Amino acid sequence: MLSERAKKEIEAALRKYPNRKSAVMDALRAAQKDKGHIAKDDMDEIASILEMRSVEVNAAAAFYTMYNVDRPVGKYHIQVCRNISCSLLGAEHLIKHMERALSIKTGETTPDKRFTLSTVECLGSCGTAPMMQINDDYHENLTEAKIDELLKKLE
Amino acid sequence: MGDGFKIFELVKKVLFTDFVKGLSITLGYNVSRSITHRYPDEEKWIPYRRFRGLHTLNKDEHGRELCVACELCSKACPTQCITVIPMEDDTGRGIADRVAKVWKVDLVRCLFCGYCEDACPTRAVRLGREYELACIDSRCNVRQREELLHPQPTPEAFEGGVVARATFIRKKRSIKVKADLMNTKKRSI
Amino acid sequence: MHGVIIMATVKINGKEITVQDNTLILDAARDAGFEIPTFCYQADLMGIGSCRMCLVEIEGQKKLQPSCITPVLHGMSINTETPTVISARASMLEFLLANHALDCPVCDKGGECELQDMVYKYGPHKGRHAEKKFKFQEKDYALSPVIIKNSNRCVQCQKCVRVCAEVVGANVLGALGRGDHQEETSFFRHFLDCDQDGNCIEVCPVGCFMRLPYRYRTRPWDLKGADTVCPYCGTGCRMVIEHRDGVLIRSKAQLGVGLNSETLCARGRFGCDFASSTERLKTPLIRRGGSLEPASWEEALGYIKEHIPVNIGNKMGGIASPRLTNEELYLFQKLLRDIFGSPNLDSTARWEPEATEGFIKATGMDEGGVSVFDCMESDSVLVIGSHLSDENPVTDYIVRRIKNTRRMSLIIASPREMKLDSSATIKLRHSPGREAAVLDAIALAVNAGKPSPAEGAALKDAKIEDLIASAGVTKGAVEQIAQRLLAANSIAIIAGMEFLRHPEGIPELGLLKEALKSSGKKVLVMPALDRANQRGAWEMGVHPAFGPGYGPVKDKGLGCAGMLEAANRGDLDMMYIAGADVAAMHPDEEFTRKALLKLKLLVVQDIFLSETAKLAHVVLPGSSFAEKEGTFTNQEGRAQIIRKLLPPPGKAKRDLDVIRAVGEVYDPSFGPKMPVLVLDEIRNAAGMYAHVSLAFNNKRNTENKLDNRHALVQGSATSALSVTRFSAATTEPEGRFHLTTGNHLFHSGRFSRRSGTLLGLLSAAVVEISEKDAASLNLKSGDKVKVKGRHYEAILSLKTKKGSKEGVAFIAENYDDVPVNRFFKKGEPAPRVDITKVTY
Repeated sequence: MLSERAKKEIEAALRKYPNRKSAVMDALRAAQKDKGHIAKDDMDEIASILEMRSVEVNAAAAFYTMYNVDRPVGKYHIQVCRNISCSLLGAEHLIKHMERALSIKTGETTPDKRFTLSTVECLGSCGTAPMMQINDDYHENLTEAKIDELLKKLE
Repeated sequence: MGDGFKIFELVKKVLFTDFVKGLSITLGYNVSRSITHRYPDEEKWIPYRRFRGLHTLNKDEHGRELCVACELCSKACPTQCITVIPMEDDTGRGIADRVAKVWKVDLVRCLFCGYCEDACPTRAVRLGREYELACIDSRCNVRQREELLHPQPTPEAFEGGVVARATFIRKKRSIKVKADLMNTKKRSI
Repeated sequence: MHGVIIMATVKINGKEITVQDNTLILDAARDAGFEIPTFCYQADLMGIGSCRMCLVEIEGQKKLQPSCITPVLHGMSINTETPTVISARASMLEFLLANHALDCPVCDKGGECELQDMVYKYGPHKGRHAEKKFKFQEKDYALSPVIIKNSNRCVQCQKCVRVCAEVVGANVLGALGRGDHQEETSFFRHFLDCDQDGNCIEVCPVGCFMRLPYRYRTRPWDLKGADTVCPYCGTGCRMVIEHRDGVLIRSKAQLGVGLNSETLCARGRFGCDFASSTERLKTPLIRRGGSLEPASWEEALGYIKEHIPVNIGNKMGGIASPRLTNEELYLFQKLLRDIFGSPNLDSTARWEPEATEGFIKATGMDEGGVSVFDCMESDSVLVIGSHLSDENPVTDYIVRRIKNTRRMSLIIASPREMKLDSSATIKLRHSPGREAAVLDAIALAVNAGKPSPAEGAALKDAKIEDLIASAGVTKGAVEQIAQRLLAANSIAIIAGMEFLRHPEGIPELGLLKEALKSSGKKVLVMPALDRANQRGAWEMGVHPAFGPGYGPVKDKGLGCAGMLEAANRGDLDMMYIAGADVAAMHPDEEFTRKALLKLKLLVVQDIFLSETAKLAHVVLPGSSFAEKEGTFTNQEGRAQIIRKLLPPPGKAKRDLDVIRAVGEVYDPSFGPKMPVLVLDEIRNAAGMYAHVSLAFNNKRNTENKLDNRHALVQGSATSALSVTRFSAATTEPEGRFHLTTGNHLFHSGRFSRRSGTLLGLLSAAVVEISEKDAASLNLKSGDKVKVKGRHYEAILSLKTKKGSKEGVAFIAENYDDVPVNRFFKKGEPAPRVDITKVTY
């Protein structure tokens, strides 16, 4: 169920666009703010508000890695870029390293619900590759040591 | 030359040379090893692996049928003697959820060319080493999947190219030559 | 610039070709005779250029361009066969195969797979990808009782998503995810609540969407097919039906063939298995001592001869189903009129003959055929009296597809919500059975645009107020419609079966047409019919008031209702019913059964032991559409050939042979024997068919144009039709809901109930009401409810529709367990019902 706040936000977004469908991205963002991810019911509700089919909302949400569709995330959502620059500079090794450190696989959440590890497309910081984003912050020029330090700080 | 030749011929005739020559071959065979197979009473020829006899449908090591009823064998068959009707079965009978409901071959039309073997993507159908295919009525010319799934008496691993001791069993509606694969001897044809 | 066509000359592989400006390079190249492989391109769908198979080299541009979304420019020089292009194609295929499951031996598409063909022709025969293949799922999952999905084989062409949204309008499939992990599926892989038409299966180039009834039953090369016409509704879709070992296994459409191209509806695609049903009648039956016993043809024909004297005249009546071919219908009326000398003939149990006559006149069927594509060329299209999305699904697809590609207005007037509403410019929800008032109000409003000296404006306004009140619509909506119609130069009206259910709207339809014509507009009217050969039945003269080609007859006879009344009075002794299920379809079931039981001889010719056949004295087994040759005339007036695929089962015969055999009992020269020869006789007897060409096979309809208009029937020179005025129907005062009926999307008459697949799609009877009504009654979709009328009550499951008119309940006429005709009573006003929740 969408919160009252999210519903209000969607109403506000609707006024920005010439047709209701266009507000789908804003609506999804508003829904995600509620609990960190977008549940199936939320998409059904957004669909009925925006007069779309649920599957269209789902398709819009599933395209972007920024929306966590039907996937609750931990307190810290670690998003590692794995596009070309980061990959060339060892992003794959870093991902493996973190998988070991957190003992989860990519796309999973630790049992204590603190960390979620996922890979994303380019975050536009190729100059400081390899990089990752934890919640809203960028962490750049990563090394294994730097990651260990970071994870310790968050724990 | 004429006179000398005649004398030579005469000497040969007097000494029975040709007769001795011919008799030596006959006598030679009397003491050489026999090449006649005492088939079907005592012996049976076990062919080489490359032999193309009755079809067999194989299973994998877990006992699942390899045939996925893709019908490529029946498509490849030049005499259209193979009929395959697929069905769905996800109980683990086959390696995929597609298995054969019907897989039958009409042996009267089959020319044992082996195209079905070549076409088979899962190596399920192989031409085995059974060659005693004659029977007393036309119904048994069509062999069904259930029968072909039984392993043939000669296992795949058995090298072949030997003659085995055999027992001839006569029943009311069929005859059978049962080979004893433990008791074989190499013999060239 | 309107109407001016700009041409562009381009060079393709050195060959110069002049095409219309804005033509796609792909189309231009295909016109020039060069082949370019594609996956995601389909002429009728929006181009997305996602598969990159169609890359071509344009001189002067460094990178290869996708030809399916790049239009030509004057002077362009394009190469489609250079080494770069060829290697690009191979690379694309290598990428597509990187994650493709390659389980061709198991896949149902194997043998007719576009990816297989393409790799065979253009592909690398070795892949270099060493990575493990990405898998969406381990096991195939069913999306509906007829659709099963294996995403591992997907090539991400998105044709399924586009056809679902743009053509079918169901919009239940989405492309979820991105890149090679994108999966085209339903919301959370749920069971689809859709039209179940399987168009996603048809457009899928690989084995990603597959039909469940066909699953693992055969290979395409085992099938023998016949190019024929769908036996269900009046749209007249061309399709290929295929059998293996005598069992009809599937029907499919063909890209670019027929007016439907690659689309079909659930009925056409999945409903043809009735032909191989085990319940088919295989031998003639004769009633002996109360029960029907198998008999030989000689016995059955002897029985008929014994009981029906030649030239029996008025004592005899005949009803032939609009599912028979033109040839059979022609011979049937010839048998009745010439051999038995009876004028009592009808082709339907559902409508009054006066109503059908008026409808034919008002829709101008006697003036020749009207192509649906011509209708969609109009500036404004009005759909009225038809639940097009359920009754004629493929017509609905054509309307939606063309509406979305050009500037035009689509006006829909209907009491119930329909899928096409989402494409409508204006939708009008009127009270059921009030088409007359709606049309009258529109006609008045159209004329109101101009000053009329004859009538005072105030008086006219008052009249409109009256009409809109009785139609239950708003004045604004009617005025909007009038404005749209006045602004248009050409108008098409698609008029459906509701006009026959409520015939008082028929004269108004004619009046509106005349009113629009007189104000200088081009008006086309196309009937939307719900039986495959309904139009053919009328044109063959299976009607009490006119003969073949709508020509006059010596004496007019009785229609179906008249015959039943006469039978009930004892004035009619014998009936010959071919294919029609009168007992199930005629309003007021009880009366019908009583009347049929009073007959001295009832001969029923059918393929199943229908409700009517159970009452018969002699049952003659006929043949389904898959077992005979002949022609069907669709709602547009297009004559199309149906072809024989299978022999009739058992001792059953082709219907033509059955009718001829009955005729030969009395006159050995009764004939002709062959369908072709009958058609020749039809060409002579009905001028409309004299020049009809049966070579209808439009190659492609990118511009929604047909290659061959000669398949449409011509106008009739001998037409002798008149429009009767019917008094407005009244409804009962009691009851909250006005009960309406029609065809369900998955069914057509009772006949589709013999298809196992269609039954699987919808087994329980459903009553449809609007969401608002349901909310006020505290009901929700899926609830079991009791529908109570004055004469009958039944328990059905409820379905709510958002946009339907309040106070309307809809029960389809197709359920065996809830025969909707039991709610109706002869000579009584339209029934109203109450709906209450069933509590256990």
